[in-house]
Amino acid sequence: MDSSDPPDSSGPSAAAGPPDASGPTDGSGPSRAGVEVPDTLAAVVDADTGEGELERTIGLVGGLAIGVGTMIGAGIFVFPGLAAENAGPAASLSFAIGAVIALLVALPASELATAMPRSGGGYFFISRGLGTAAGAVVGLGLWLGLVFAAAFYLVGLGSYAGQVFLEAGIALPIDPAVPLGVAFGVGLTVLSLFGTENTAALQNGIVILLLVILTLFLSYGSLDALGVFGAERVPERFFPPGGTLPVLQTAALVFTSYLGFAQVATVAGDITEPSRNLPLAMVGSVLLVGVFYVVTIFVATSAFGSARLGEFGETAMVEVARSFVGLPGALAIVVAGLLATFSSANASILSASRAVYAVSRDEIIPETASRLNLAYGTPHVALGLAGGPIVVLAATGQVALLAEVASFLHLVMYGLICVALIQLRRERPSWYDPAFRCPAGFAVAGVGGLASFALIAFMQPASIGVGAAIMIAAYGWYRYYATDVELKGDF
Amino acid sequence: MTDTPTEDGEEQTETGDRQATGEQPGPETPTGEQPEPDAPTDVGRPSVLVPLKLLEGESLPNGVPELLANARVVLLGYHVIPEQTATEQAREQFGEKAMSKLDEFADSLAAAGADVETRLVFTHDEATTIDRLIYEYECLAVLVPNSAERVDSVLVALRGTVGVGRNTRLVAGLFADAGVDVTLYHALNEGESPDDGESFLNGVRADLVERGVAADRIETLVEDADAPLDAIAGRAESHDAVVMGETDPSVTTFVFGMPSEQVAERFLGPVLVVQRERPEE
Repeated sequence: MDSSDPPDSSGPSAAAGPPDASGPTDGSGPSRAGVEVPDTLAAVVDADTGEGELERTIGLVGGLAIGVGTMIGAGIFVFPGLAAENAGPAASLSFAIGAVIALLVALPASELATAMPRSGGGYFFISRGLGTAAGAVVGLGLWLGLVFAAAFYLVGLGSYAGQVFLEAGIALPIDPAVPLGVAFGVGLTVLSLFGTENTAALQNGIVILLLVILTLFLSYGSLDALGVFGAERVPERFFPPGGTLPVLQTAALVFTSYLGFAQVATVAGDITEPSRNLPLAMVGSVLLVGVFYVVTIFVATSAFGSARLGEFGETAMVEVARSFVGLPGALAIVVAGLLATFSSANASILSASRAVYAVSRDEIIPETASRLNLAYGTPHVALGLAGGPIVVLAATGQVALLAEVASFLHLVMYGLICVALIQLRRERPSWYDPAFRCPAGFAVAGVGGLASFALIAFMQPASIGVGAAIMIAAYGWYRYYATDVELKGDF
Repeated sequence: MTDTPTEDGEEQTETGDRQATGEQPGPETPTGEQPEPDAPTDVGRPSVLVPLKLLEGESLPNGVPELLANARVVLLGYHVIPEQTATEQAREQFGEKAMSKLDEFADSLAAAGADVETRLVFTHDEATTIDRLIYEYECLAVLVPNSAERVDSVLVALRGTVGVGRNTRLVAGLFADAGVDVTLYHALNEGESPDDGESFLNGVRADLVERGVAADRIETLVEDADAPLDAIAGRAESHDAVVMGETDPSVTTFVFGMPSEQVAERFLGPVLVVQRERPEE
């Protein structure tokens, strides 16, 4: 699409009201289209301020695809082996706990997002609701949290790419997961620097394909586990020997699988009809992946004993599929795993760059960081600040540590999102007018916030140490560089 | 100029302004000769969308102000941003610069006599933006902005009676008093005789005359062309601008691009692509 030609008229059809110089969505005009109704909030944000208006191009399906696409890579294709090893069949409970916490945060986050549909997501809410100090810690933490998450996905991607060699019968002298992950990290960063990425359409396609493969696989697996195909499975003890503690620890570990819904909020500025589509995309994607995760663990732990699953490591699901339908099943899951971890890694790199932009726009870090390259239209500094550390971290290959630090930094943000909601609802600043109101707001945000912080306590000491160090460093940076920035209520 | 009731009862709000500018089209009421009864809402100047990729160095080509002197020009400056970049980010950095460029172009259009509205949009998707603005301003046509040295003669390629009223409104609105030669061109469809073609074009000519175009400035040309697009592009070389319709997207469209695009690429002059009637919601 590179011409000035008119698009065909099969596109979205808007009623041709009398042209109005005050802008397209003044809220009082006739309904603009079947798929689009005036969104007063979006109109305020996009309105031409003398420097141009902004087109919103991501619809509900696109928003869901971002959320699901970012999340599903980890929970299904990386964690089952690790989680089952730690918590046995009760790992499905761990995933359920994660889903509940994610939902408790997604609802308040939805309310905040419809009140502030701007790029930056959680950072934006917290800096405006709680002030610069909290904003700086969360903003820098979000950047690094996404960096850790992306590195984690890349190692997962590397594992699946390595599995391709195994399936092809090519023996490699070393485990190729880490080198391949690093290579993918470099490749994706370079691609995002120079490519005119048309990832939205691709992302939608990948997510739909994944959901189809997984639905088939999990349906078959569930029937098999329930004994429909006749094979007797000996039910394993549900809870692991350690009782509930390993279940909670595993919940903390696998919470990385639920980080994606916040990514929907980071592109809030691009979502059409944010008042409706943001809450639906955030809550919907958490519910969808939550169900998939719980069923996946159920199926996986029915097919193999937990200890056996743990031995398979990151690519345990390939063995599960192989045990059901042989080589074709294994290959299908390898392909699905490649796609899923690839899209998760890609989405995280892009989100990390947007996080850098968000803090740089507010002058918490030097403005240079968000400069765009006119030739490519890409923020080269921000992408470098994302891609560089990602590659370094991927090279460490510490899957569990990377995942937990990512979760740590996100959980801090989630907890503060809940605090921000409570704060804003109490203060009622004049600009705060969310189109979506979280039901039982105080209770949901209160429990969500407490649960987010509590989950951190179940992580490994090393992860807590690294996460805390990052937060302290972020606060130190704020004291050094950004004490004169006032963001609270700056909207 | 027409009292045909509009389907939705909406009137262009700025009718009064347009009349004040003195570019009123003829006072005639359309008669039964008008091939299409669908051409009613626009009273006054035809709206033409001029999309420019400002930040990629596209500027207002020579000849365009002259070509659109009688139009209500919706000047759209836009910048397509890759998906990895927030639109806000681009606006912050490039908005001011783009806006001042856009104002400059708007001034030169206005100096030539056009009514101008400017819009600057940062978008991830060009098609969404252009389509939205076509709707918003009920644009009759979109300009493929190529340059012309002068505007003395225009080739109007007509495919058939469907939607032809929009073509005549555009041509009459832009060129009725401009001293421009208009050549109506029709490539015969399958099973159509040259006489059919002639009578079709004569009907259009009569409609144009009624709308204020001088009869001696209108020529008609019917041709049996194997490849209509090649023929149009070829004929266009002896003219300064082309008016043609948009086509339904089809397989060939996907492979070779929109017909108007193909013509514009070979002709290298300005092409006004008349938009189909957009369905009301």
